[in-house]
Amino acid sequence: MQFRDYYETLGVARGATAEEIKRAYRRLARKYHPDVSKEPDAAERMKEINEAYAVLSDPEKRAAYDRLAAGHRAGEEFHPPPGWDAGFEFSARDFGPEAFEFSDFFSELFGRMGARAGMHRGDHYAKILLDLEDAYRGATRQVTLRVPHLDPHGRLASAARTLEVRIPQGVREGQILRLAGQAPSGDLLLEVQFRPDPRYRADGRDVHLTLPVAPWEAALGAVVPVHYPGGQLNVRIPPGAQSGRALRVRGKGIPSQPPGDLYLHIQVVVPPADRARVRELYEALARETAFDARRQWSEQHR
Amino acid sequence: MTHEDDWLTLEELCTACAVEREWVIARVREGLFPAAGATVEEWRFGAAALRRARRMRGLERDFEAVPELAALVADALEELDALRARLRRAGLE
Repeated sequence: MQFRDYYETLGVARGATAEEIKRAYRRLARKYHPDVSKEPDAAERMKEINEAYAVLSDPEKRAAYDRLAAGHRAGEEFHPPPGWDAGFEFSARDFGPEAFEFSDFFSELFGRMGARAGMHRGDHYAKILLDLEDAYRGATRQVTLRVPHLDPHGRLASAARTLEVRIPQGVREGQILRLAGQAPSGDLLLEVQFRPDPRYRADGRDVHLTLPVAPWEAALGAVVPVHYPGGQLNVRIPPGAQSGRALRVRGKGIPSQPPGDLYLHIQVVVPPADRARVRELYEALARETAFDARRQWSEQHR
Repeated sequence: MTHEDDWLTLEELCTACAVEREWVIARVREGLFPAAGATVEEWRFGAAALRRARRMRGLERDFEAVPELAALVADALEELDALRARLRRAGLE
Protein backbone atom coordinates (compact mmCIF):
# COMPACT_ATOMS: atom_id res chain seq x y z
CA MET A 1 0.00 0.00 0.00
CA GLN A 2 1.32 3.43 -0.91
CA PHE A 3 1.18 6.37 1.41
CA ARG A 4 -0.99 9.25 0.16
CA ASP A 5 -0.17 12.83 1.01
CA TYR A 6 -3.59 14.48 1.10
CA TYR A 7 -2.13 17.94 1.73
CA GLU A 8 -0.02 17.62 -1.42
CA THR A 9 -3.08 16.45 -3.41
CA LEU A 10 -4.98 19.60 -2.47
CA GLY A 11 -1.86 21.80 -2.61
CA VAL A 12 -2.29 23.19 0.90
CA ALA A 13 0.05 23.52 3.89
CA ARG A 14 -0.25 21.13 6.82
CA GLY A 15 -1.44 23.94 9.06
CA ALA A 16 -4.12 25.10 6.58
CA THR A 17 -7.42 26.29 8.02
CA ALA A 18 -10.73 24.64 7.15
CA GLU A 19 -11.53 27.63 4.90
CA GLU A 20 -8.23 27.31 2.99
CA ILE A 21 -8.84 23.61 2.47
CA LYS A 22 -12.34 24.25 1.20
CA ARG A 23 -11.12 26.95 -1.23
CA ALA A 24 -8.36 24.70 -2.58
CA TYR A 25 -10.83 21.85 -3.01
CA ARG A 26 -13.31 24.01 -4.94
CA ARG A 27 -10.63 25.36 -7.22
CA LEU A 28 -9.53 21.80 -8.07
CA ALA A 29 -13.09 20.48 -8.26
CA ARG A 30 -13.81 23.11 -10.91
CA LYS A 31 -10.61 22.36 -12.82
CA TYR A 32 -11.07 18.59 -12.86
CA HIS A 33 -14.86 18.34 -12.92
CA PRO A 34 -15.29 15.23 -15.11
CA ASP A 35 -18.24 16.70 -17.03
CA VAL A 36 -16.34 19.67 -18.38
CA SER A 37 -12.62 19.20 -17.77
CA LYS A 38 -10.29 19.01 -20.75
CA GLU A 39 -7.53 17.48 -18.63
CA PRO A 40 -6.77 13.95 -19.88
CA ASP A 41 -6.76 12.34 -16.42
CA ALA A 42 -9.61 14.44 -14.99
CA ALA A 43 -11.70 11.55 -13.66
CA GLU A 44 -8.73 9.97 -11.90
CA ARG A 45 -7.57 13.28 -10.43
CA MET A 46 -11.11 14.08 -9.27
CA LYS A 47 -11.21 10.79 -7.33
CA GLU A 48 -7.94 11.67 -5.59
CA ILE A 49 -9.16 15.18 -4.83
CA ASN A 50 -12.46 13.90 -3.40
CA GLU A 51 -10.61 11.38 -1.28
CA ALA A 52 -8.20 14.00 0.10
CA TYR A 53 -11.08 16.34 0.84
CA ALA A 54 -13.13 13.62 2.55
CA VAL A 55 -10.29 13.27 5.07
CA LEU A 56 -9.04 16.85 5.46
CA SER A 57 -12.50 18.44 5.66
CA ASP A 58 -13.44 16.24 8.61
CA PRO A 59 -11.72 17.29 11.86
CA GLU A 60 -11.89 13.77 13.29
CA LYS A 61 -10.34 12.09 10.28
CA ARG A 62 -7.86 14.90 9.75
CA ALA A 63 -6.54 14.65 13.32
CA ALA A 64 -6.08 10.88 13.05
CA TYR A 65 -4.42 11.27 9.63
CA ASP A 66 -2.06 13.99 10.91
CA ARG A 67 -0.88 11.79 13.72
CA LEU A 68 -0.26 8.94 11.30
CA ALA A 69 1.25 11.00 8.49
CA ALA A 70 4.12 12.59 10.39
CA GLY A 71 7.37 11.61 8.66
CA HIS A 72 5.80 9.84 5.65
CA ARG A 73 5.98 10.89 2.03
CA ALA A 74 3.60 10.30 -0.87
CA GLY A 75 4.20 7.08 -2.79
CA GLU A 76 6.21 5.52 0.02
CA GLU A 77 5.36 1.91 0.92
CA PHE A 78 3.24 2.15 4.00
CA HIS A 79 1.37 0.05 6.53
CA PRO A 80 -0.42 1.65 9.45
CA PRO A 81 0.95 0.48 12.81
CA PRO A 82 -1.53 -1.48 14.93
CA GLY A 83 -3.65 0.77 17.09
CA TRP A 84 -2.68 3.92 15.15
CA ASP A 85 -6.18 5.33 15.52
CA ALA A 86 -6.72 4.28 19.11
CA GLY A 87 -7.94 6.99 21.43
CA PHE A 88 -9.74 9.07 18.79
CA GLU A 89 -13.46 9.48 19.03
CA PHE A 90 -15.41 9.35 15.76
CA SER A 91 -19.05 9.93 14.98
CA ALA A 92 -21.09 7.52 12.85
CA ARG A 93 -21.26 8.75 9.29
CA ASP A 94 -20.89 7.40 5.82
CA PHE A 95 -18.92 8.78 2.94
CA GLY A 96 -21.46 8.48 0.15
CA PRO A 97 -21.18 6.23 -2.86
CA GLU A 98 -17.95 7.89 -4.08
CA ALA A 99 -16.08 6.26 -1.21
CA PHE A 100 -16.18 2.92 -3.03
CA GLU A 101 -13.81 4.44 -5.57
CA PHE A 102 -11.32 5.66 -2.99
CA SER A 103 -7.88 4.09 -2.69
CA ASP A 104 -6.83 1.05 -0.66
CA PHE A 105 -4.97 3.51 1.53
CA PHE A 106 -8.23 5.26 2.38
CA SER A 107 -10.19 2.04 2.93
CA GLU A 108 -7.50 0.64 5.17
CA LEU A 109 -7.44 3.78 7.30
CA PHE A 110 -11.00 4.97 7.35
CA GLY A 111 -13.08 2.25 5.70
CA ARG A 112 -14.12 0.77 9.00
CA MET A 113 -14.86 4.04 10.69
CA GLY A 114 -18.10 4.62 8.84
CA ALA A 115 -21.02 2.29 9.15
CA ARG A 116 -20.09 -0.43 11.64
CA ALA A 117 -22.24 -3.33 12.61
CA GLY A 118 -24.46 -2.29 15.48
CA MET A 119 -23.66 1.40 15.08
CA HIS A 120 -26.55 3.80 14.86
CA ARG A 121 -26.79 7.39 13.80
CA GLY A 122 -25.67 9.54 16.73
CA ASP A 123 -23.35 6.88 18.13
CA HIS A 124 -19.68 7.63 18.54
CA TYR A 125 -16.88 5.17 18.09
CA ALA A 126 -13.33 4.89 19.37
CA LYS A 127 -10.65 2.25 19.61
CA ILE A 128 -9.05 1.65 22.97
CA LEU A 129 -5.78 -0.09 23.78
CA LEU A 130 -5.84 -2.52 26.70
CA ASP A 131 -3.29 -4.82 28.25
CA LEU A 132 -3.91 -8.51 27.84
CA GLU A 133 -3.85 -8.75 31.64
CA ASP A 134 -7.09 -6.72 31.69
CA ALA A 135 -8.83 -9.46 29.72
CA TYR A 136 -7.76 -12.09 32.26
CA ARG A 137 -8.84 -10.19 35.35
CA GLY A 138 -11.33 -7.59 34.22
CA ALA A 139 -10.51 -4.03 35.18
CA THR A 140 -11.72 -0.49 35.52
CA ARG A 141 -9.63 1.75 33.32
CA GLN A 142 -9.44 5.48 32.82
CA VAL A 143 -9.61 6.00 29.08
CA THR A 144 -8.72 9.36 27.58
CA LEU A 145 -10.24 10.02 24.19
CA ARG A 146 -9.31 12.90 21.93
CA VAL A 147 -12.27 14.60 20.30
CA PRO A 148 -11.01 16.63 17.33
CA HIS A 149 -12.89 19.76 16.32
CA LEU A 150 -12.29 23.11 14.65
CA ASP A 151 -11.52 26.18 16.73
CA PRO A 152 -13.23 29.53 15.92
CA HIS A 153 -10.42 30.30 13.43
CA GLY A 154 -11.02 27.08 11.51
CA ARG A 155 -7.84 25.47 12.82
CA LEU A 156 -7.73 21.90 13.94
CA ALA A 157 -7.85 21.48 17.70
CA SER A 158 -8.70 18.62 19.97
CA ALA A 159 -10.26 18.32 23.37
CA ALA A 160 -9.56 15.41 25.67
CA ARG A 161 -12.16 13.67 27.74
CA THR A 162 -11.56 10.97 30.29
CA LEU A 163 -13.96 8.17 31.03
CA GLU A 164 -14.03 5.37 33.55
CA VAL A 165 -14.56 2.18 31.61
CA ARG A 166 -15.31 -1.15 33.18
CA ILE A 167 -13.49 -3.84 31.22
CA PRO A 168 -15.27 -7.18 31.65
CA GLN A 169 -13.17 -10.27 32.24
CA GLY A 170 -12.83 -12.32 29.06
CA VAL A 171 -12.86 -9.37 26.67
CA ARG A 172 -11.37 -10.18 23.27
CA GLU A 173 -9.69 -8.20 20.54
CA GLY A 174 -12.24 -6.69 18.18
CA GLN A 175 -15.03 -6.82 20.75
CA ILE A 176 -17.20 -3.71 21.08
CA LEU A 177 -18.03 -2.27 24.49
CA ARG A 178 -21.15 -0.13 24.30
CA LEU A 179 -21.34 2.77 26.78
CA ALA A 180 -24.96 3.85 26.76
CA GLY A 181 -25.61 7.57 26.51
CA GLN A 182 -21.93 8.57 26.34
CA ALA A 183 -22.20 10.33 22.97
CA PRO A 184 -24.07 13.65 22.58
CA SER A 185 -27.00 11.90 20.91
CA GLY A 186 -26.26 8.20 21.19
CA ASP A 187 -23.93 5.63 22.64
CA LEU A 188 -20.16 5.45 22.66
CA LEU A 189 -18.83 2.26 21.08
CA LEU A 190 -15.35 1.23 22.15
CA GLU A 191 -13.51 -1.33 20.08
CA VAL A 192 -10.99 -3.32 22.08
CA GLN A 193 -7.46 -3.72 20.83
CA PHE A 194 -4.58 -5.14 22.84
CA ARG A 195 -1.46 -3.09 23.28
CA PRO A 196 1.39 -4.78 21.41
CA ASP A 197 3.47 -6.72 23.93
CA PRO A 198 6.79 -8.38 23.09
CA ARG A 199 5.90 -11.30 25.39
CA TYR A 200 2.31 -12.15 24.51
CA ARG A 201 0.01 -12.28 21.50
CA ALA A 202 -3.72 -12.98 21.57
CA ASP A 203 -5.49 -14.85 18.80
CA GLY A 204 -9.17 -14.81 19.61
CA ARG A 205 -9.47 -16.58 22.97
CA ASP A 206 -6.04 -18.22 22.66
CA VAL A 207 -2.86 -16.61 23.88
CA HIS A 208 0.62 -17.31 22.55
CA LEU A 209 3.94 -16.66 24.20
CA THR A 210 7.54 -17.58 23.54
CA LEU A 211 9.13 -19.65 26.30
CA PRO A 212 12.93 -19.54 26.51
CA VAL A 213 14.37 -22.92 27.60
CA ALA A 214 17.93 -24.00 28.46
CA PRO A 215 19.37 -26.86 26.34
CA TRP A 216 19.37 -29.31 29.30
CA GLU A 217 15.76 -28.41 30.15
CA ALA A 218 14.78 -29.16 26.56
CA ALA A 219 16.81 -32.39 26.38
CA LEU A 220 16.05 -33.84 29.80
CA GLY A 221 12.64 -32.35 30.46
CA ALA A 222 11.94 -29.99 33.35
CA VAL A 223 9.27 -28.17 35.24
CA VAL A 224 9.70 -24.43 34.70
CA PRO A 225 7.83 -21.39 36.02
CA VAL A 226 5.99 -19.42 33.32
CA HIS A 227 4.72 -15.85 33.65
CA TYR A 228 1.60 -15.38 31.59
CA PRO A 229 -1.01 -12.59 31.56
CA GLY A 230 -3.07 -14.46 34.16
CA GLY A 231 -0.17 -14.76 36.62
CA GLN A 232 2.31 -17.59 36.99
CA LEU A 233 2.12 -21.33 36.49
CA ASN A 234 4.49 -24.28 36.45
CA VAL A 235 4.79 -26.09 33.15
CA ARG A 236 6.33 -29.47 32.47
CA ILE A 237 8.68 -29.47 29.48
CA PRO A 238 8.71 -32.98 28.00
CA PRO A 239 12.16 -34.55 27.43
CA GLY A 240 13.46 -34.03 23.90
CA ALA A 241 11.68 -30.71 23.32
CA GLN A 242 12.92 -28.65 20.41
CA SER A 243 12.77 -25.00 19.37
CA GLY A 244 9.65 -24.18 17.44
CA ARG A 245 7.53 -26.78 19.17
CA ALA A 246 4.45 -25.43 20.98
CA LEU A 247 3.06 -26.74 24.24
CA ARG A 248 -0.62 -26.22 24.83
CA VAL A 249 -1.86 -25.41 28.31
CA ARG A 250 -5.57 -26.05 28.17
CA GLY A 251 -7.90 -23.41 29.56
CA LYS A 252 -5.20 -20.84 30.39
CA GLY A 253 -6.03 -18.51 27.52
CA ILE A 254 -8.52 -15.67 27.90
CA PRO A 255 -11.22 -16.70 30.42
CA SER A 256 -14.64 -17.37 28.90
CA GLN A 257 -17.08 -20.23 28.37
CA PRO A 258 -15.13 -22.24 27.24
CA PRO A 259 -11.82 -20.53 28.07
CA GLY A 260 -9.08 -20.20 25.47
CA ASP A 261 -5.79 -22.09 25.55
CA LEU A 262 -2.28 -20.88 26.25
CA TYR A 263 0.37 -21.84 23.70
CA LEU A 264 4.02 -21.85 24.78
CA HIS A 265 6.39 -21.71 21.84
CA ILE A 266 9.65 -23.28 22.93
CA GLN A 267 12.84 -21.45 22.10
CA VAL A 268 16.04 -23.17 23.13
CA VAL A 269 18.56 -20.57 24.28
CA VAL A 270 22.22 -21.58 24.15
CA PRO A 271 24.46 -20.42 27.05
CA PRO A 272 27.48 -18.42 25.84
CA ALA A 273 30.87 -20.18 26.00
CA ASP A 274 32.43 -17.23 27.75
CA ARG A 275 34.47 -19.15 30.33
CA ALA A 276 37.13 -21.82 29.89
CA ARG A 277 35.15 -24.39 31.91
CA VAL A 278 31.99 -23.90 29.82
CA ARG A 279 34.03 -24.16 26.66
CA GLU A 280 35.47 -27.50 27.90
CA LEU A 281 31.98 -28.82 28.59
CA TYR A 282 30.78 -27.87 25.09
CA GLU A 283 33.84 -29.56 23.57
CA ALA A 284 33.22 -32.68 25.67
CA LEU A 285 29.58 -32.70 24.59
CA ALA A 286 30.59 -32.40 20.96
CA ARG A 287 33.04 -35.33 21.28
CA GLU A 288 30.67 -37.55 23.27
CA THR A 289 27.54 -37.08 21.17
CA ALA A 290 29.05 -36.72 17.67
CA PHE A 291 25.86 -34.83 17.03
CA ASP A 292 25.19 -33.46 13.53
CA ALA A 293 22.64 -30.66 13.82
CA ARG A 294 22.29 -30.49 10.03
CA ARG A 295 21.94 -34.15 9.14
CA GLN A 296 18.23 -34.07 8.45
CA TRP A 297 18.59 -30.66 6.82
CA SER A 298 21.33 -31.81 4.41
CA GLU A 299 19.33 -34.95 3.52
CA GLN A 300 16.43 -32.71 2.57
CA HIS A 301 18.67 -30.50 0.50
CA ARG A 302 20.54 -33.21 -1.32
CA MET B 1 -32.02 3.23 -22.85
CA THR B 2 -33.80 2.28 -19.67
CA HIS B 3 -36.14 -0.67 -19.37
CA GLU B 4 -39.17 -0.90 -17.13
CA ASP B 5 -37.09 -2.99 -14.71
CA ASP B 6 -34.40 -0.34 -14.41
CA TRP B 7 -36.69 2.20 -12.80
CA LEU B 8 -35.84 3.13 -9.26
CA THR B 9 -38.17 3.91 -6.40
CA LEU B 10 -37.52 6.99 -4.27
CA GLU B 11 -35.76 4.88 -1.62
CA GLU B 12 -33.54 3.19 -4.20
CA LEU B 13 -32.61 6.54 -5.70
CA CYS B 14 -31.72 7.91 -2.26
CA THR B 15 -29.50 4.92 -1.48
CA ALA B 16 -27.78 5.11 -4.86
CA CYS B 17 -26.71 8.72 -4.37
CA ALA B 18 -26.56 9.01 -0.59
CA VAL B 19 -29.25 11.70 -0.22
CA GLU B 20 -32.17 11.98 2.16
CA ARG B 21 -35.76 11.38 1.04
CA GLU B 22 -36.58 15.00 1.88
CA TRP B 23 -33.76 16.23 -0.36
CA VAL B 24 -35.38 14.62 -3.41
CA ILE B 25 -38.96 15.47 -2.44
CA ALA B 26 -38.14 19.18 -1.96
CA ARG B 27 -36.43 19.38 -5.37
CA VAL B 28 -39.24 17.57 -7.16
CA ARG B 29 -41.80 19.91 -5.53
CA GLU B 30 -39.73 22.95 -6.64
CA GLY B 31 -39.69 21.62 -10.19
CA LEU B 32 -35.89 21.20 -10.15
CA PHE B 33 -36.02 17.47 -10.52
CA PRO B 34 -38.34 15.48 -12.76
CA ALA B 35 -40.34 12.60 -11.34
CA ALA B 36 -42.89 10.42 -13.15
CA GLY B 37 -45.90 9.36 -11.05
CA ALA B 38 -48.70 11.09 -9.18
CA THR B 39 -47.81 10.36 -5.56
CA VAL B 40 -44.44 10.06 -3.82
CA GLU B 41 -44.97 6.27 -3.57
CA GLU B 42 -45.57 6.04 -7.31
CA TRP B 43 -42.56 8.12 -8.31
CA ARG B 44 -40.11 6.21 -10.49
CA PHE B 45 -36.69 7.40 -11.59
CA GLY B 46 -34.57 6.33 -14.54
CA ALA B 47 -30.83 6.40 -15.25
CA ALA B 48 -30.95 10.04 -16.35
CA ALA B 49 -32.57 11.04 -13.03
CA LEU B 50 -29.91 9.14 -11.11
CA ARG B 51 -27.16 10.98 -12.99
CA ARG B 52 -28.92 14.31 -12.39
CA ALA B 53 -29.35 13.64 -8.67
CA ARG B 54 -25.66 12.81 -8.29
CA ARG B 55 -24.63 15.91 -10.20
CA MET B 56 -26.89 18.21 -8.22
CA ARG B 57 -25.82 16.72 -4.91
CA GLY B 58 -22.15 17.07 -5.90
CA LEU B 59 -22.60 20.70 -6.95
CA GLU B 60 -24.49 21.58 -3.77
CA ARG B 61 -21.92 19.90 -1.60
CA ASP B 62 -18.67 20.83 -3.39
CA PHE B 63 -19.52 24.45 -4.16
CA GLU B 64 -22.28 25.09 -1.62
CA ALA B 65 -24.50 25.86 -4.59
CA VAL B 66 -28.15 26.71 -3.83
CA PRO B 67 -30.49 24.04 -5.31
CA GLU B 68 -31.63 26.35 -8.13
CA LEU B 69 -28.03 26.98 -9.24
CA ALA B 70 -27.21 23.27 -9.02
CA ALA B 71 -30.28 22.55 -11.19
CA LEU B 72 -29.22 25.22 -13.69
CA VAL B 73 -25.73 23.71 -14.00
CA ALA B 74 -27.26 20.23 -14.28
CA ASP B 75 -29.49 21.53 -17.12
CA ALA B 76 -26.43 22.92 -18.90
CA LEU B 77 -24.51 19.67 -18.44
CA GLU B 78 -27.45 17.62 -19.78
CA GLU B 79 -27.58 19.92 -22.80
CA LEU B 80 -23.85 19.33 -23.24
CA ASP B 81 -24.38 15.54 -23.03
CA ALA B 82 -27.10 15.76 -25.70
CA LEU B 83 -24.94 17.86 -28.04
CA ARG B 84 -21.97 15.53 -27.61
CA ALA B 85 -24.20 12.57 -28.41
CA ARG B 86 -25.37 14.33 -31.60
CA LEU B 87 -21.78 15.06 -32.59
CA ARG B 88 -20.89 11.42 -32.11
CA ARG B 89 -23.87 10.24 -34.15
CA ALA B 90 -22.88 12.68 -36.92
CA GLY B 91 -19.38 11.17 -36.81
CA LEU B 92 -17.86 14.50 -35.82
CA GLU B 93 -16.28 13.45 -32.55
